[in-house]
Amino acid sequence: MIGTRNVNQTEHELMVTVARGNLSAMSEIYERRHRNLFRFFFRLTGRQTAAEDLVHEVFLRMIRYRHTYQTGDSFEAWMYRIARNAFADQLKKHRLETPAEDRDFEVLDGGRPSAFDDMVKQQELALLHRALRELPEDKRELIVLSRFQGLSYEQIGQIVGAETGTVKVRVFRAMKEIGKIYNDLEKQPGPGKEKAS
Amino acid sequence: MICPHAKELIAASWTGELEAEQESKLKQHLAECEECSLEMTQLGAIWERLADIPAPEPSHALAVRWEATLESLKTPRPYRQNPWKFSLAALWPQRPVWQVTIAVACLALGTIVGGYGFREKGRDRSEIAALRDEVASTKEMVALSLLQQQSAGERLRGVDYTSRMRTMEPEVVSALIQAVNHDSNVNVRLAAIDALTKASANPQVRQSMVHSLGEQDSPMVQAALIDYLVDARDPQALGPIRQLAGRDDLNPAVRQRAATAMRQLTEYR
Repeated sequence: MIGTRNVNQTEHELMVTVARGNLSAMSEIYERRHRNLFRFFFRLTGRQTAAEDLVHEVFLRMIRYRHTYQTGDSFEAWMYRIARNAFADQLKKHRLETPAEDRDFEVLDGGRPSAFDDMVKQQELALLHRALRELPEDKRELIVLSRFQGLSYEQIGQIVGAETGTVKVRVFRAMKEIGKIYNDLEKQPGPGKEKAS
Repeated sequence: MICPHAKELIAASWTGELEAEQESKLKQHLAECEECSLEMTQLGAIWERLADIPAPEPSHALAVRWEATLESLKTPRPYRQNPWKFSLAALWPQRPVWQVTIAVACLALGTIVGGYGFREKGRDRSEIAALRDEVASTKEMVALSLLQQQSAGERLRGVDYTSRMRTMEPEVVSALIQAVNHDSNVNVRLAAIDALTKASANPQVRQSMVHSLGEQDSPMVQAALIDYLVDARDPQALGPIRQLAGRDDLNPAVRQRAATAMRQLTEYR
């Protein structure tokens, strides 16, 4: 840990301080935000290393482009715009370098099921996770922002550059698609998918 | 087909963003429309269950890497003062009348001698400086790109590139630390440790190396890290080296190297 934590300032105030050249304030922003950003990227990429590289890249870009931070900006929207750009750049590079079959998500270890109910729940979650990763990137991003990152539709609108109403409709459509993929996966025969009656 | 006006309301209900009036409107609609009601139940259940999908925590290596990067960014670049600046300033007269006279004389001389030739030379110099900067940044880009290649040979070339750089940018330091911690190839890890020698004055880099010591399983890498820390004369490394030396599964040669290192570091204290 570098220095003492500055817990009294808002992220906006801290970022204004960074924009004025005091890079030490970035430590506190990192402390507050890195886990949140890591989960965002993990749910988008499904890979721990890729998610960590992206978190690092976002904080580097925040410093590099600190002069673009406006006092009227919402810090959250600005940060997620940088995060989306970093992800888009990584995606382009990844697509060029990695064959499609290697672009799979890491399997999440939800722990060993301790009872029958847990086992069923694990199976359902595994299917849902698969459905999420099979969703196109733009739709997955909307679900991640609204469901996992806990952002309001208005905030998402600021990040993706769309009206709040449009975001709501897009999230609804993304949910419909994930529901369809989930139902299709449930119907598919496969090891570990049969539910005992 | 779900009713178009219900989509926004249903989506808003999932995040709790419905106002009282909209909520009663949605309730009324769901009571009348079986299809929307079914959709609301099914998708709502999926929305709820999505929250149960687990996500891991970021590793400690990420924090160490970030702290090293931030510390490098905060460290001011070495600046060489131009001795001429001060000697010329000392020669500058204090009296305004002389200042104006010299300024006019310089202007006239500059115009007569011909600013054209000087301008061309000046432009050449600034172009050379810009080209130098460009070459340095291209080298850095090539090195970073090579470090991310699938082939270990290419990654080794990347490390080799970084070792030829006069100064290491934070991105390069960070990529090398990443290579030491995560590269699957022992030779790349060893070369990255060697390349980081230039950055051993940075306490955050040394801290990364200390942290890496506990994570490595290759005896060669363990020995290289011990040597790095001894060369850097970092007393903070004493504890972690002692801890490593106490491991039952440690290679005897590394144990011996660790014992020597502990003696040397104790002397440096």
